[in-house]
Amino acid sequence: MSGGITYLEAIRLAQAKVLADDARVFIYGQDVGSFGGAFKATEHLAKEFPGRVLDSPLSEDAMVGMAIGAAIEGMRPIVEMQFADFSTCGFNQIVNHAGTLFYRTGVSCPLVIRLPSGGTAGGGPFHSQSMEALYAHYPGLVVMTPGTVEDAYSMLIEAVAIDDPVIFCEHKLLYNHLKAEALPSEALPAGQAALARPGRDATVVTYGAMLHEALAAAETLSSDGYEIEVVDLRTIKPIDTDTVLGSVARTGRLLCVSEAWPWGSVCAEVIARVSSEGFGLLDAPPQRLNAKDTPVPYHPDLWSSHRPTAAAVEASLRELLRM
Amino acid sequence: MPVVSGQTPILQEQFIKAFRVMLLARLLEKKLASLYRSGLIRGGVFLGKGQEALSVSVGIHLNKSDIFAPLIRDQAGRLAFGDTVLDTLRTYLGSQLGSMRGRDGNIHRGRPREGYYAMISHLGAMIPAVSGALLARRMRGETGVVGATCVGDGATSTGAFHEGLNAAAVEKLPLVLVIANNQYAYSTPNSRQFACEDLLDKAIGYGVTGHRADGVDLADCLQVVGAAIHDAREGGGPQIVVAKLLRLVGHGEHDDAHYIGSDIKKSALGRDCLALAEARILDEQWASEKEIASWRKDINEEIEATTAKVRKEPTPDPTEEDWCAVSEARLVDNFLS
Amino acid sequence: MAKVPLLMPQLGESIAEATIVRFLKKTGETIEADVDLIEVETNKAVMEVTSPCSGVLSELHANEGESYPVGTVLGYIEVEDAEAIRLGLGGQPDEPEQKSSPKPKPAKKSLSQASVKATVTGLPVPAHAGGVSYLSPRMKARMAELGLHAADLAGVAGKGASGRVTIEDLERFLEDLERNHSTPASSMRVAVADAMRRSWTRPLATVVLPVRLDTTLDHRRKTAPHKAGLALYALRAIAIALAEHPAPAGRLIGDRIIHPRSIDIGFAVEAEEGVLVPVIRNADQFRLSELIDRYNRLVDLARERRLPAAETGGSIATVTNYGVFGLTLATPIPLPEQTLLLGIGSGTIAPHWDPSKKAFVPITEALFTLSFDHRVLDGGAAGRLLKRIAELLHAPETL
Repeated sequence: MSGGITYLEAIRLAQAKVLADDARVFIYGQDVGSFGGAFKATEHLAKEFPGRVLDSPLSEDAMVGMAIGAAIEGMRPIVEMQFADFSTCGFNQIVNHAGTLFYRTGVSCPLVIRLPSGGTAGGGPFHSQSMEALYAHYPGLVVMTPGTVEDAYSMLIEAVAIDDPVIFCEHKLLYNHLKAEALPSEALPAGQAALARPGRDATVVTYGAMLHEALAAAETLSSDGYEIEVVDLRTIKPIDTDTVLGSVARTGRLLCVSEAWPWGSVCAEVIARVSSEGFGLLDAPPQRLNAKDTPVPYHPDLWSSHRPTAAAVEASLRELLRM
Repeated sequence: MPVVSGQTPILQEQFIKAFRVMLLARLLEKKLASLYRSGLIRGGVFLGKGQEALSVSVGIHLNKSDIFAPLIRDQAGRLAFGDTVLDTLRTYLGSQLGSMRGRDGNIHRGRPREGYYAMISHLGAMIPAVSGALLARRMRGETGVVGATCVGDGATSTGAFHEGLNAAAVEKLPLVLVIANNQYAYSTPNSRQFACEDLLDKAIGYGVTGHRADGVDLADCLQVVGAAIHDAREGGGPQIVVAKLLRLVGHGEHDDAHYIGSDIKKSALGRDCLALAEARILDEQWASEKEIASWRKDINEEIEATTAKVRKEPTPDPTEEDWCAVSEARLVDNFLS
Repeated sequence: MAKVPLLMPQLGESIAEATIVRFLKKTGETIEADVDLIEVETNKAVMEVTSPCSGVLSELHANEGESYPVGTVLGYIEVEDAEAIRLGLGGQPDEPEQKSSPKPKPAKKSLSQASVKATVTGLPVPAHAGGVSYLSPRMKARMAELGLHAADLAGVAGKGASGRVTIEDLERFLEDLERNHSTPASSMRVAVADAMRRSWTRPLATVVLPVRLDTTLDHRRKTAPHKAGLALYALRAIAIALAEHPAPAGRLIGDRIIHPRSIDIGFAVEAEEGVLVPVIRNADQFRLSELIDRYNRLVDLARERRLPAAETGGSIATVTNYGVFGLTLATPIPLPEQTLLLGIGSGTIAPHWDPSKKAFVPITEALFTLSFDHRVLDGGAAGRLLKRIAELLHAPETL
């Protein structure tokens, strides 16, 4: 592999760091042990940290439930779902147990559930889902959606430090496609959005892999003289409304882009907040771009029309700039 | 509940028929792997090499009016139940003319209206679905129907397995649950998957009849699975069949299965059921080497011709796609932006 | 001979690239379909790239030990035409497989985007500019903050999408205004401006009729010194006419006509910085002579800006005598809550053909205008009302 640290490598290194720094941390998931995980996110960790990187049976409900119990007892478990899509089999434990524990008992539940999220060509309906909005809907959960190598590293380290359950949505498409020169020494805290590209004419609010589609669209539009501001939410629960409003105050126009389905998506939430709290900042009706409202199709040609692409973001932005 | 093993003598005709389906499955999967490695199949390719004897035994004993929900390593069972080389290739190559129309791919295919259920990736999920189908058939007064579904050792750890099998047992449904214990769930060995000595022990816990088959022995698989299906059809309630064998390929074609040790590969479990069946045929003089070679040739010709045909077929056009996930178009949620 | 590309396959979910370990076949070798050609390594596994068809391995572009992204053309296989056609390979015209992902549809071309450039030069405002036709929430918020109305920006040519006036246009406009001398507008001025701007939201029209005033003026002279002004004659005339047929004084609200409760008629009085409109309530029920003192008192109160609230507002029509300014014709705007405005131009001596004398005789006449809300009545109804007013003025003793 050519040089640079990949997004996947950053996730592996972050886990190596927290395992080294904090004896309470352990990793639990299918094939995470000597095999190193379906995506190799835990490669060599079982060997480096004997007894702390455990292969689980094919039992998502048990994986999360075990992590909850361990968290109550003071551990800091990291659960790896093989695919975000399979977290539905552990859904009950996540939303009804981990998400409610602190509110009900006053005892916090410090666990991290890593969800390999989002689509890849040929992934099909059950290996492509983006579930962040679903988990964000439930109280008691923190939901992170890193879109850069640096964030994948620093946010995962912070996720482990956070006393509440964190749903860590790492994007599969970025695993090996995204590289950085070095790991960050400092980072924005969770809950704070980043200005990924400054602009003047319109704001794109996005996160995860869509960040790169948005940045590509902004780059294309810059050759036509448009300056598009791109806000990377980074954490989608809590959402950094202030940064979004600040950006919209500069540009007057908002496009929200997400790879998830449109109904009740992060886009819907961002637009609701901007419309109610920042209506007077808007020069045009806020727009959103989501995946289509069907299961994620298998065929790569269908898939690339199902999800927002840089070309689709660009078209939406041109429409928005005309309004 | 007694744990039984089929004892009826094998039939030459059935053995040959099963062998030819296994051979078709094996050669078709070889082609699929090749198409994947030359970049023509996108997504995943999951093969059943080493599991054909068990799988074919399920498909071959089911009637057209039965229900079959295969899993990822059931190419042989699928073909025996009525799936075709054409639809297999169409689904893998994403042809618009395939049963899944490019919307889903590879092993995620089926024709539910023909009793051939399309699996989802979430393991164990088909067990309650097949059970529900059987409940419906019974409610409608249909008798003599069997529903079969296949899982691996990994799926036995899921909630859906437990809930589905328990519910089927409570309803005494004619469910045949075939468990191919291929020793690894992706990379996870049995030792990290379950702690009972034998998966067959589970039959006792759920109150269903258990059968043990030798997964590499076609004759035994045919007998045991045939008996289980027969018993279910005759009102014996849910049956589970547990067969030990070894996956002779990676989890998918992206996986080189380096975690499978050479010891187990060299063990009795690691023998190739297809080679053993071929040897048996020659041994029994049910067919000559020359005949088998001609079957192989015919099969390869069919696969090649079908591949060539499918490669020229249209793939789905996103601009023509209706993007509609509900059957009643009036209920489509129209997102204006 | 067709050339079939040899691609780096997608060897697993999320795999971006793979490294070539070694070549298993050499350039120039004849190969079968489905044979292993190249051994590659991903971060997951070592595996082989196989030949998609039979032929001759004609080119290899890749190097051992190097990584290539998924989908890279690693080389080419030369295929016999017959084989290529059989497989539908190598750029056949009916080749569905090579169909690339559909290009994103070009964004819809919007008419409104067409052009904001002036097509006619020399106009103070460029033609085809959208101007302030659409105000975004942001613009509205800023304008509310500044106390501005859309009409204030009528002269601003927008530089935004579809010629919209943007915040930047607004700020630039306001900045430019700073170069002018400005004084605060009086509250009277602001009130009139508000009323006129609101009224102007309706489709207004005006009809005109020359009215001979000799009999009216004669009557006026006869009643001196206790005489009424011409506006009061007109006021009585319109009051009587509307009492006979009140429909034209109705107001259209939604899909209903709201009929007047009583015939209250206002009249415009110029005061400092603006216009006030005192009201004669039930003007149809009092003789002209009975109204003179009341009328004069209201004029005085208005000019002194001491008009009580009860004496203004709620009228169904207004009379304005712009003739006192020497104007012969004007199209004044009715009050926002009224449908009708009767205007009186200045009287002029005009030659009139007298058929009995077979000669032109001098007469006094003035142009009367009736401005109205075209949603409520049409030119015909407005004309009939104006003619009836003229008739009544010709018989002043009946007023």
